[in-house]
Amino acid sequence: MFKGVNASSGIGIGKAVIVEETELVIQRETVADSVAEVERFKSALEQTMQETEAMAADLAQRIGEKEAEIMNGHLMLLMDPMLTGEVETSISSEQICGEYAIEQVFTMYAGVFAAMDDELMQQRATDMLDLKTRLQKTMMGVASANIADLPAGTILVARDLTPSMTAGINPEHVTGIVTELGGKTSHSAILARALEIPAVVAVGGFLDNVKNGDEIVLDGSTGAVYVNPDASVADEYRQKREAFLKEKKELEQYIGKPTVTKDGVSVELVANIGRPEDVEKVLQYDGEGVGLFRTEFLFMDRNAMPTEEEQFEAYKTVAEMLEGKPVIIRTLDIGGDKEIPYMGLAKDENPFLGYRAIRLCLDRKEDIYRPQLRALLRASAYGKIRIMIPMVTCIDELREAKALIAEIKGELDGLGVAYDKDIQVGVMMETAAASLVADLFAKEADFFSIGTNDLTQYTMAVDRGNDKVSYLYSTFNPAVLRSIRHIIACGRAEGIMVGMCGEAASDPMMIPLLLAFGLNEFSMSASAILKSRKMITGYSMEELQAVAEKAMSFATAGEVEAYMKEFVG
Amino acid sequence: MVRRELIIKNISGLHLRPTGILCNEAIKYRSEIRFEKDGSFTNVKSVLSVLGACIKCGDRVELICQGPDEEDAMNALTALIESGLGE
Repeated sequence: MFKGVNASSGIGIGKAVIVEETELVIQRETVADSVAEVERFKSALEQTMQETEAMAADLAQRIGEKEAEIMNGHLMLLMDPMLTGEVETSISSEQICGEYAIEQVFTMYAGVFAAMDDELMQQRATDMLDLKTRLQKTMMGVASANIADLPAGTILVARDLTPSMTAGINPEHVTGIVTELGGKTSHSAILARALEIPAVVAVGGFLDNVKNGDEIVLDGSTGAVYVNPDASVADEYRQKREAFLKEKKELEQYIGKPTVTKDGVSVELVANIGRPEDVEKVLQYDGEGVGLFRTEFLFMDRNAMPTEEEQFEAYKTVAEMLEGKPVIIRTLDIGGDKEIPYMGLAKDENPFLGYRAIRLCLDRKEDIYRPQLRALLRASAYGKIRIMIPMVTCIDELREAKALIAEIKGELDGLGVAYDKDIQVGVMMETAAASLVADLFAKEADFFSIGTNDLTQYTMAVDRGNDKVSYLYSTFNPAVLRSIRHIIACGRAEGIMVGMCGEAASDPMMIPLLLAFGLNEFSMSASAILKSRKMITGYSMEELQAVAEKAMSFATAGEVEAYMKEFVG
Repeated sequence: MVRRELIIKNISGLHLRPTGILCNEAIKYRSEIRFEKDGSFTNVKSVLSVLGACIKCGDRVELICQGPDEEDAMNALTALIESGLGE
């Protein structure tokens, strides 16, 4: 068995077709007529541009505008007068053949991009090399490896897939992809996911161990690849494949369906996101909104505080992309355990009990909290934004944050800047203290969202990263379950929405209990939404009330878990 | 010659797509169009040149237009950058 990086989920079974790019031999040859050589280059450029345009149109039609952007980007590079001008100059000044001039110029730029300190820019190096090869092939009349006409049941095997190669793949015939190079975020991996072709990339030395026609089995979820596997392995994966396809098909039926129990209780299924671009996946899996948008990404990996303007753009983008669906945005949740040099935070002896999240923000209103809240308020004019305050322990924190929000609203009113006047301000329920006074919070907060990861950690007084004590870290502990039930009951008593954005919200063994407790909103990773909707629509509240009652009668986490396991089956 | 200081607002900075949109607009003008950032110059009509400048979100750049249609170019490009370049 070979092991690579799981780039696109699903099981691929088929016969290997090794796609090798013809090795081009590019030599420095002098030309007598450099004017004619420049013309020869220009016509190759023209042809390559036309092909690229056609690929972009094809991708836009088959997959989507976003995927076509990779090819549109190539087109822009080909249109760049600086790039092509440099090739032309070097042909005429050095009297060299176009192929060699291309080699020099494109290799140089690829090197420049590869050396840049930015992942997005580094990917441009791959684009430059892809374009280089295509231009040279066109000039030399060498055909590119034809990927469009592969036979059905093909597992595509290559050293690396260039963006232009991946663009030509027919997903009806290609049942899997294995490459020696690449990574989870490379263009080819992104396209494989968009085309829903199982793929494993970065399988070291694979080409030395496979030949055309070999039987290949790959698991795009685990990264496992088999060459000519035993009948038993092949059978096992055939079954897995059928189960995967069946489940996928089944889940697709839940797109566009309401999330409602058999007896008519409806809940919201929303997603957790960490960056604006994650919204796309939320929409793809039919999320009903965003239950947790973490804002830390705006503050990490940089040298200065993000400006209000920059934050405003990010929040506005998400609000607009969601087209009216709600988004709960959590204000900065950061502390001394994160290295953010420009914030000048001292190293906390005990960061999870220290100077972090709302404590830090209220202490640094002017440089941190005010700009963030102002950006959030301004962005609220563009969609349905809700503000969530993390790690509250006492009412004073909520009051102080709300007072600051009211102050900023007054400023915006004075300036005539638009914002949502009814914007909701809620709290994240994740400390034992907040849970104990949940009834008080429910009177002053517009909503709750239970963060089970921290709630479990603070309730059980356990560091889940510590192997010696991590056995205590379970949401099924009666203490944690009672806390969750209490928070939900307090919120419901005041008629506010109670959601959950921790891992427990998508745990099949927790969902029945949470429904029975009366949770209104379940926030999870986008890919878990349809599965959860399927589960929820299969239950009736009446049945779950009895299950919850029984589950809450046990004294240990082990008993609760065993009982729920049996119930879920 | 006209110059104006601008702040780049795109979340991911001037990467390929927004840069393409910017350059496509810039090449419509006959004026020479450049960014100045920390003393170095970038040709705004070239995707490669702009990408190479590695301009990030929140960066301040000076847009400089020089030529027969410098005012028009300045106005159009400023509006485009302010609008977030399609993001």
